[in-house]
Amino acid sequence: MASLDDKTIEKLEKKAKKQSPWSIARRKLLKNKLAIISLSFLILVTVLAYLAPFIAPYDPNFVDIMNRNNPPGDGYLLGTDNAGRDILTLLLYGARTSLTIGFICMFAVVGIAIVIGSISGFYGGWVDAVLMRFTDFVMNFPFLVFIIVLASIFREAGIGALIVVISILSWTGAARVVRSKTLAEKENEYVMAAVSIGGTPFKVIRKHLLPNVMTTIIVQATLLLAVMIVIETALSFIGFGVPSGTPSWGNMMSEARNPNVIRTQWWIWIPPALAITFTILSINFIGEGIKDAFNPKSLK
Amino acid sequence: MLLYSLRRILIMFPILIMISVVVFALALAMPGDALSGQIDPQNANPEYIEEMREQLGLNDPVHVQYGRWMAGVVQWDFGRSTVHKMGVTDLIGERLPNTILLSVMSLIITYVLAFIMGRYAGRHPYTIGDYSIQGINYLMLAIPSFVAALFAIFIFSFQFGLFPSSGSVGSGVTPGTLDFWISKLHHTFLPALVLGALTTASYTQFLRNDIIESSQKDYVRTARAKGTPENEIYNKHILRNSIIPIVTLFGFDIASIIGGAVIVETVFSYRGIGELLISSIERRDSAVVIAITLMLSIATLVGNLLADLLYGVIDPRIRVE
Repeated sequence: MASLDDKTIEKLEKKAKKQSPWSIARRKLLKNKLAIISLSFLILVTVLAYLAPFIAPYDPNFVDIMNRNNPPGDGYLLGTDNAGRDILTLLLYGARTSLTIGFICMFAVVGIAIVIGSISGFYGGWVDAVLMRFTDFVMNFPFLVFIIVLASIFREAGIGALIVVISILSWTGAARVVRSKTLAEKENEYVMAAVSIGGTPFKVIRKHLLPNVMTTIIVQATLLLAVMIVIETALSFIGFGVPSGTPSWGNMMSEARNPNVIRTQWWIWIPPALAITFTILSINFIGEGIKDAFNPKSLK
Repeated sequence: MLLYSLRRILIMFPILIMISVVVFALALAMPGDALSGQIDPQNANPEYIEEMREQLGLNDPVHVQYGRWMAGVVQWDFGRSTVHKMGVTDLIGERLPNTILLSVMSLIITYVLAFIMGRYAGRHPYTIGDYSIQGINYLMLAIPSFVAALFAIFIFSFQFGLFPSSGSVGSGVTPGTLDFWISKLHHTFLPALVLGALTTASYTQFLRNDIIESSQKDYVRTARAKGTPENEIYNKHILRNSIIPIVTLFGFDIASIIGGAVIVETVFSYRGIGELLISSIERRDSAVVIAITLMLSIATLVGNLLADLLYGVIDPRIRVE
């Protein structure tokens, strides 16, 4: 009997060990069909985007002068644009540009938000007051207007400058969220214990506070990725984003600023339009799935 | 409340000054002469440029230039537009009514649609109607405004011919007549709808969830128990409570409309402030760009102030600091 009891206890212990917050969240997420379909879609788009040089039917700079504005069909699966470039090829290379910029901006923004938010929340007092007034100040800019004006000033500087401009204006909301979470988490006894045994502020923030704020940061990051992709495509669409020679979803759509293209050459702008919309939609669903998965109150 | 409002309004002034400094720095970084718009950007002769710079005081120390610019700004003098050959203030005055019409119409459409859809979905949750509204919501939240604008033009203007695809008023109508106003509203409807799509979706979602949550509360059960008709419960008891939070977001709506209008006006070639901003950047008409940037910054600031004040009205806890 004793051995049986031990086995049962062991089993129970194993089961209990599996129930970390992360594994509970993972299980909940896997059960969420919409989120999993969206995640698969996003992964598929990302893989296709980065495999573009191998799977694209043409070179992105290849111009077929004889076949400009071809509707979908012969030789060109999705047709050609005004310059005679293959739409499918541009779509694949465009995905690479748009997703890369989206991801880099997202990481930059989350990085700034973590630094400002956690320092502000951990120290409190005048540090918090100064940093939050600064955040309020940046928040009061008309976001899109400033991005457009700045992007037009640094137009010649290329994609790097674009990423910097987008990132330095987008971190305020996320920083506020990180701050309020840190502020709440700081009140717990384990933080006091960590400080009292001589943990340096940097170590306490990194080892104790950040892991507990992480779930919030992940949800924020997902939503930010969607926002960043929208900003890049919108900027490129009106001509202040990615340099016009580089294929990107926004650049492909900028041809649709001509009403004639909207009316008669739908194959030029509808593919990137659908690509953008479905990518954002899937990111939003993933974000909601993650939020639900980490929420102990949700039973899904 | 009075003390809270005064404090909030006083905080605005230092922020206003800091914003003006940032905008001034942008002006210095812009091509041409963004402060007065006197240098012709087409003329690249270095002697001409140097002479004009000296004459306009662009070689003065930065703080002197800032002071001179601010003195102009408080007197509504933003210099001249090199492209349109007129004062920037007059130029903006010409375009501003269009943008205001667009914003007001967009807000009205947003509130009406969100009210109808949110009320229906909240009262009939987990039905086909609710799921369809939710589906539309998710799509509206995901689709970027310029993509939505293109689809709206493609479907409503070109396929069905219901609305004009561009411009802010038809040609050949005399200003002031009834036809003029009808044509104006007709041109404004589609951009206003697109501009309000995102807010409509989030308000619908909010109203739906709030109505569902409220319908479980004690005061609703009490109302039911004393025999209040179901219609009256939803219209009087629940809806009144659910609408209040949305009203407080009015200030933030102003801020989000400002950003959205720039893109939407550009796609529809709608002759408003946003379209003027983009076309002025493209034509290097820097004085106009700086004037609009400053104006939209102030409008955003006022929008955020309004949001804070409305919050204070609704939630007394916020007033205490």
